[in-house]
Amino acid sequence: MVYDSIANASIPTAASNSKDFGKKKRVNRTAKLKQSKLDVRREQWLSQVKNRGFKEETKATRVTKMAAPETHAATEREHSIVKLEISVGGEENESLMNNYSDSESPSNSPTSHTSSVSESNISVTNFTGSSSRSSCGSSSSSGDCCSGSMTDEEDDEDDGCLDDWEAIADALAAADDIQKSPVDEHPLTPPEPEQPVLTPAGSTNFRAWRPDDVSRPQSLPNLVKQNSFPMKSGSSAFPSSCPICCEDLDMTDSSFLPCPCGYRLCLFCHKRILEDNGRCPGCRKQYESHGNAASSKLGRCHSMNPSCH
Amino acid sequence: MNSGSLTGGRSWPSRTSLTSSGKRIQKEMAELNTDPPADCSAGPKGDNLYHWVATLFGPQGTPYDGGIYFLDITFPANYPFKPPKVVFKTRIYHCNVDSTGNVSLDILEENSWSPALTISKVLLALRSIFTNPNPYKPQVPGIAHLYLVDKSKHDSLAAEWTQRFAK
Repeated sequence: MVYDSIANASIPTAASNSKDFGKKKRVNRTAKLKQSKLDVRREQWLSQVKNRGFKEETKATRVTKMAAPETHAATEREHSIVKLEISVGGEENESLMNNYSDSESPSNSPTSHTSSVSESNISVTNFTGSSSRSSCGSSSSSGDCCSGSMTDEEDDEDDGCLDDWEAIADALAAADDIQKSPVDEHPLTPPEPEQPVLTPAGSTNFRAWRPDDVSRPQSLPNLVKQNSFPMKSGSSAFPSSCPICCEDLDMTDSSFLPCPCGYRLCLFCHKRILEDNGRCPGCRKQYESHGNAASSKLGRCHSMNPSCH
Repeated sequence: MNSGSLTGGRSWPSRTSLTSSGKRIQKEMAELNTDPPADCSAGPKGDNLYHWVATLFGPQGTPYDGGIYFLDITFPANYPFKPPKVVFKTRIYHCNVDSTGNVSLDILEENSWSPALTISKVLLALRSIFTNPNPYKPQVPGIAHLYLVDKSKHDSLAAEWTQRFAK
């Protein structure tokens, strides 16, 4: 029944294209990931759910409302799911879940080293954890696991749970329209491709690391380099970074060939050398472009004057 | 290597004015670690990325065989546009190294330096002057003269200095 609600929620968007299929898969895997945690503590939960029937309702709806207007970032979607499951269990389990995400993440992703216990980090670790799971897990079995875990919960909580899941699913569907699924774009490289999604999500509390973030941990992979790698291997004749300053060469730099000897460098270093002695680092000859540009300008001035007369 | 060792070792606080040289020096350090040239080593002396210490082993077949030579390498802030400064800390009987350790090596001079050169290449060049001293551009003209006139005596003196100072 609960599983049906998830399926229904996914149908409006999932029926058409494969993009949303990936989304659904991811949701299932998240549930699978959580299920392993749920199994461990289910006994505790059962007793607590009985006691906190009322609290669970109010809290879950609050979370749902919070999640609904958010139109970006799979991070937050998953976070809201996590929160929902947590709130079903009660407050003790929330802290308990935090411990889980901290302790298990080292095996899943490099981001785990970052985690001081703040809310943004929780979302990050959960997110990458589930995504790396998606790279190795098989999609068929995850669906089974998902339904299994949900039916377990179904015994404990009844209609309130359904409402919550429907609201969450609405939020997911709304987010689906806006957000592309990165899993389908880069199926082979699990944690890294998620970053373009994470990066624009910087508005709320559950903010992901920006590439230029001061406090961004160094253990996070550098997306620019990762993306530039296949391009580099495609055109292996050209260096990917300036041999002088070691900064990455952009498109302009790559097409910049200042010396006939073929020594390439970035425009910044070229300018700096021109201001200095103006000699090519590769062959030590004077850059011709420098002298030619000056002389041709002069020549043009000279040639224009006689033509006027 | 690039992403791993470089970003992993980024403990040095980057300042905007020194970033380009710092990045370049760090890259050279990573390359020296992964692919060190034969019979030499180099690395930062302490926390300062711009102050390195290097060791050279006297090559076999030379009077410097068996000697271990320590060098100080100081990078200017505008490295690699300006050459690093290399000073022998171990005394050596060599026409291109004076008593205070100053080296006369063409690529280390400002006019001959190229930003494309690296510390690894500098170390190779320093190694080459062990086997092939350049008496025509000497730092110590007396030794250069002896090298040209009486090479065997020069070699025996150099070997004696190796035993005394570089062991």
